[in-house]
Amino acid sequence: MIQIKNIYAGYFGREVLKNVSFDVERKDFFGIIGKNGAGKSTLLKIFSNLLKSYKGNALIDNKNLESFKSKELAKRLSFLPQYSDMSMPFSVVEFIMFARFPYMNMFKFPSKSDYKAIERVMGFLNITNLSERKITELSGGEKQKVLIAQVLAQETDIIIFDEPTARLDIGSQNNILKLLRDLNEKHNKTIILTIHDLNAAGEFCNKLLLLENGSICRCGTPEEVLNCKDIERVYKTVVVVKTNPISNRPYVIPVSG
Amino acid sequence: MVNRRALFIYAAMLTLLFLAFLFSLTYSLNGISFVDALNALFNVGDENIITIIKLIRFKRIIMVCVTGAVLGGSGCVFQAILKNPLADPFTLGISGGAILGASIAFISGLAATVSFFTPLFAFAGAVLSVFTVYVFGFKGKFNSNIMILSGVVVSYAFSSLVMLMFSLSQSTGVQQSFMWLMGNFSTFDERLAPFVIIVAAVGLTILFLSGNIIDGISLGREKAETLGNNVEKNIKIVFFITSLIIAAVVSVCGVIGFVGLMIPHIMRIFVGSKAMLLIPASVIGGALFLLLCDTLSKIIFAPVVIPAGIITSVLGGAFFIFLLVKAKKSGV
Repeated sequence: MIQIKNIYAGYFGREVLKNVSFDVERKDFFGIIGKNGAGKSTLLKIFSNLLKSYKGNALIDNKNLESFKSKELAKRLSFLPQYSDMSMPFSVVEFIMFARFPYMNMFKFPSKSDYKAIERVMGFLNITNLSERKITELSGGEKQKVLIAQVLAQETDIIIFDEPTARLDIGSQNNILKLLRDLNEKHNKTIILTIHDLNAAGEFCNKLLLLENGSICRCGTPEEVLNCKDIERVYKTVVVVKTNPISNRPYVIPVSG
Repeated sequence: MVNRRALFIYAAMLTLLFLAFLFSLTYSLNGISFVDALNALFNVGDENIITIIKLIRFKRIIMVCVTGAVLGGSGCVFQAILKNPLADPFTLGISGGAILGASIAFISGLAATVSFFTPLFAFAGAVLSVFTVYVFGFKGKFNSNIMILSGVVVSYAFSSLVMLMFSLSQSTGVQQSFMWLMGNFSTFDERLAPFVIIVAAVGLTILFLSGNIIDGISLGREKAETLGNNVEKNIKIVFFITSLIIAAVVSVCGVIGFVGLMIPHIMRIFVGSKAMLLIPASVIGGALFLLLCDTLSKIIFAPVVIPAGIITSVLGGAFFIFLLVKAKKSGV
């Protein structure tokens, strides 16, 4: 569905991605892992057409990203950045309503169907009770849910997340990932995310891409990618890889000493 | 979904505006009632009253309302796109340019020859500063902090030029410039009024209709772009329209501070932050506030009319002291 072909990209003369090629199939739960600075965020920016100056091709269903009109693309994929500005005192409904922009007219007036779409999304995430609260007054967890509601309200089949679990405790992390898995399995969304936690990546994703210094170290199933040799080389640390007895997914154990 | 509370507030404020309008038409005219004033507008009643009210006061009051409306509305828009609650219509240097232009007109004596020169030069000056800030601010990707910084620099640069002219010049133009600086509704060129009113009305309407787009800008570039918005283009269009209407009123009426800064903050308490609600609220609020200040400016030291800008500054200062005290009390 999404094809990345021979991408070379960088900023200010510094090459960040070198000859990256891979595919993301429909309904993949696709995790991108790697060290800081390996090029994960750059790759996401190329996916979401935020970075437009690169060599190579990025295609969705065989159509080059370049040839998509912004509005058209906004109906195909949505993006949740790592940091979101929630400093303006909009109400939750007003904030989520922004996601409907691609469906609105020139002056962006919401229609009945836009309000219905938002109701559905808030119901799905159990945040209907937060409708009239100001986003500036929400707790961290509530803000997270509102941000996810915002991408969901955009009703795209591809959703891209940049480090959605970065600063969360293990409980919250699992909840978010379970939610994403729901979206993937029950609602047929293609999910692409960057993630730090290798074990969470192994547990939830059906495909992983391990980036090393801007190139692909390995791309495939978690079992293929989370192998001792590659992990040790990329992260320069000693690890042991075992299999989770309940889910049969691989997990990575750090070894001290 | 129509926001009933906002509508109620608009209705209340428009009523207050209408009352202030009538008051302004009739103050210190003994024995003239509101009804007489309204009649006078339609050429009914005593000839002298008609002259004062219709020809003199009415035109001035309309100008005051339009100026207040533009200042309130544009302050609101700048605060939104610059994402800075301290932004006002003059953050981006327009005042510096306009004052420079007007001062040149006064001091060079050109203003004395044809009164038209003052607004013309002021407008040219405003356009110059807008252009300069645009060139600096839109180099590469739009960055609100860089934009604000350019505005500050342009403001200071032009103000210094003005101060230089003041210190070197002996002409009476200096005194005239000072009076013009702070907002002057007594001697504006009436021929320009229709032009200003039309530009203001069209500009404010477009800005109001663009309210949701303006809000979208506050989402940040990544989000806004993945929602299909062309952020750069939107900001440029909004910036130009807003600058145009500010330049139009400032070149005719001078620089009046605090309205554009305070009114959005006050109205935000009543209608919230959504641009489509806040812009009209700031427009009406600005008109009302400036009308009250202007009326006060004529009454306080009657028969001397002090610049309206002085009243707005005093009230503005008081407002900020109040805010600071409130902030301190809540332990901020």
